[in-house]
Amino acid sequence: MTDTTQPLLKVRDLTVTFGKGHHAVSAVAGISFDIFEGETLGLVGESGCGKSTTGKALMKIVEPSSGTIELEGVDITNQKGRSLRNIRTRMQMIFQDPISSLNPRRRVKDIVAEPLDCWKTVEGDERDVLISDLLNKVGIDPAVYGNRYARQFSGGQCQRISIARSLAMRPKMLICDEMVSALDVSVQAQILNLLEDLKNEYGLTLLFIAHDLAVVKNVSDRVAVMYLGKICEIGPSDVLYEAPAHPYTKFLLGAALEADPDSPVHGDVLEGEPPSPMNPPSGCRFRTRCPFAQERCANEEPLLRDVAPGHQVACHFPLTIQSSAVA
Amino acid sequence: MNPDKLLVVKDLATTFNTSAGPLPAVGGVSFDLNKNETLGIVGESGSGKTVLARTIMGLQPRTNVTVTGSVLLNGHEMVGVSEAEKRKYWGTEVAMVFQDPMTSLNPVMRIGKQIDETLRVRLGMSKDAAKARAIELLELVGIPSPEQRYGAFPGQLSGGMRQRVVIATALACSPKLLMADEPTTGLDVTIQAQILNLLEDLKEQFHMSVVLITHDLGVVATRTSRIVVMYAGRVVEIGTTREVFTNHRMPYTRALLESSPKVSNPSHTRLVTIPGRPPNLLKLSLGCSFAPRCAYATNQCHQQRPELQSAEEPGHSFACWNPLPSKREAATQ
Repeated sequence: MTDTTQPLLKVRDLTVTFGKGHHAVSAVAGISFDIFEGETLGLVGESGCGKSTTGKALMKIVEPSSGTIELEGVDITNQKGRSLRNIRTRMQMIFQDPISSLNPRRRVKDIVAEPLDCWKTVEGDERDVLISDLLNKVGIDPAVYGNRYARQFSGGQCQRISIARSLAMRPKMLICDEMVSALDVSVQAQILNLLEDLKNEYGLTLLFIAHDLAVVKNVSDRVAVMYLGKICEIGPSDVLYEAPAHPYTKFLLGAALEADPDSPVHGDVLEGEPPSPMNPPSGCRFRTRCPFAQERCANEEPLLRDVAPGHQVACHFPLTIQSSAVA
Repeated sequence: MNPDKLLVVKDLATTFNTSAGPLPAVGGVSFDLNKNETLGIVGESGSGKTVLARTIMGLQPRTNVTVTGSVLLNGHEMVGVSEAEKRKYWGTEVAMVFQDPMTSLNPVMRIGKQIDETLRVRLGMSKDAAKARAIELLELVGIPSPEQRYGAFPGQLSGGMRQRVVIATALACSPKLLMADEPTTGLDVTIQAQILNLLEDLKEQFHMSVVLITHDLGVVATRTSRIVVMYAGRVVEIGTTREVFTNHRMPYTRALLESSPKVSNPSHTRLVTIPGRPPNLLKLSLGCSFAPRCAYATNQCHQQRPELQSAEEPGHSFACWNPLPSKREAATQ
């Protein structure tokens, strides 16, 4: 399924800086990753780590400060106007708050038809059939609900409508930014299953941004962990969850609560809070909270390097190597 | 009254009188809470968890609401008494930590003053004594350099720090019962773990009972001794945490547990979903509220509401006409 030769999306040294001078905040501070066709890359991290900004920068909703973004081999970093709009038909985004991302005073079928009407790719009866088909696919009966207003729907249904809208132009790639975090678990499960079905049916490639580790693992083939604007670990999801190499990943997983009374409790809890991105620590950005930090961590910034094929970590003293050295 | 029971809730019902008709947000809930116990209340949005907590506190709106039943808090009745009467118990008998640490503090008042206020009004402390105690409390909840933070405004603190301040305020008068309504929702996982550990430590230190209200089954799994599962304003299952997680009888409890993704499952595990969505409380049927979404529903379920019935394990009850087989039954089959 995965085409390993050419990534669909190639991001290199992407930075996004807000503000100028000493008020400058690097929300994204130089990240690189690839997403291959047909795969789902999960992007996890705590609030303020830059995961949403990354998603928005890829869509060029916020302007990248430096670095390059290539979609299907085309550099889109500096595209503007019509060519940028063209690119956005290939890559769509689904946002966190399903209710505010739909216009409450528009009818559902008009919302879903908007991209088609802008581009006039299909018109007339063909257009209506396509809209009905899209709504059916996401589990909204177009005959019953098509003429209702967006405000008449619950959060889960609004998220279904958002998905239908994002699929109207048959994009190659979807960027899902915390798309289930506002939903109840029973509705969340429906949406996650729906996303998985549509991904297979439409051959989509996903960047799935979320803070919930269990949700990310459920949908992702590979997972990237962000901390304070940088990627600290990236690898196949089963491997990364089983044997995290970065201390931050380990603590993050340790803090995730499992709905199981027998799950181990009170593992090591990470002390403190993330430092301000306005004044990030020197060297490794995690060193101020890392129990394994040494002098080298303050002086030298760790770069992403391979610990196993496809599994990279940005740490001078990755956990897997430490434990194997002890053993 | 049993001296071990700190809280006894009996047939508590809260109905909002809306323009569209009466809305039974809490429809007859009974449970009790022992001293030094942590009880979890779980349910999805709209299941009535927060309204239940507010009704127990006596914080329901003054108008357009009808509360019936009884809440005995350490022997004091909280339903149908005046606000002045209830105020006697707020802070010293029961205190509440609200969901949103961003809005539960006054943004234009220094955090120290917000803790002081409770101490001076409720305990009649002098200004200096209240300040000293407030700094002690800030230190107790793990706020670094409490003397300096005493003068900080809420906006200068992160969400996790603000929730610590809210907890400090709640603990100011050493309440016997702490109601924590989604205390960690909206916080990051590492901060959530810190706050939950803090609550557990403080519970021991202050000899409190805690009611932990959450939608997150992970939060209650390892930190409560008993769980109440709510659906559409009613208790559908109650029991020890272990029983509810491993030997649940109500199909809704199982559906809720199975629909949440787990870190221990491999990627791309198909999730079990509950079809449909929670009922409109304005149009509740006569039968079981979960029946329209339930795979085991029969005619009886649609027409007659099941009451809580006891399971094998003492203290474990569920409201269902066609319960799932218990572990013992499953073993004999």
